[in-house]
Amino acid sequence: MNAGLGFKLSHLQSMLLFALVISVGFGFLSKRRPADRLKYIAWALFLFLLVGVGIGWAMYPFSR
Amino acid sequence: MEENKMAGEAAIAAPQRDAKREGIAFVIAIAGWLVPGLGHALLKMWGRAIACFLTVGVLVVLGAGMRGNLFTSSGNDAFDSLGFIADMGTGTFYLAARSLEKEGPDVSHADGDYGTRFLATAGVLNLLAALHAFEAARGRKA
Repeated sequence: MNAGLGFKLSHLQSMLLFALVISVGFGFLSKRRPADRLKYIAWALFLFLLVGVGIGWAMYPFSR
Repeated sequence: MEENKMAGEAAIAAPQRDAKREGIAFVIAIAGWLVPGLGHALLKMWGRAIACFLTVGVLVVLGAGMRGNLFTSSGNDAFDSLGFIADMGTGTFYLAARSLEKEGPDVSHADGDYGTRFLATAGVLNLLAALHAFEAARGRKA
């Protein structure tokens, strides 16, 4: 029986991968020069993680 | 007299050229939708073409590997229909995701739920890339 790919990722790993891939996609689409792309990717990745962790902390008081 | 004649010919040729350009841009957008990155590859934007192919491909493989929900056209409500539109945004990768998900979706765990988002995001990202290729082909984006 073929079990498929069956990735098991934690919440943090999922968020990191998602943020990284989307940041790279946005960076390549919106900027032309490699240096600009790199800056954009780093900034978008930082903001993705900041907002993700921020929302996680904001929800913490209501989690139980 | 001669200058007026040439200006008249140019005025007639310009709309025809624009119409042809719009047609080519439309074909490029469809190609970009069907195969992620193909639209940019046709425009010789190699970096963007590879980035689109890889980012959409990675999201689809991860989403299908996490057993995310791939929506079908026979949805029960508006959210299912929206999910189907988002998933179809990946073009031919939708079929690849179907073949990768041999055991079907499983959203009873967080992995499956994340997978659903990965698949939908891959589609929306590809639609954005196809739109970018369309605009680039029309000469509106560099």
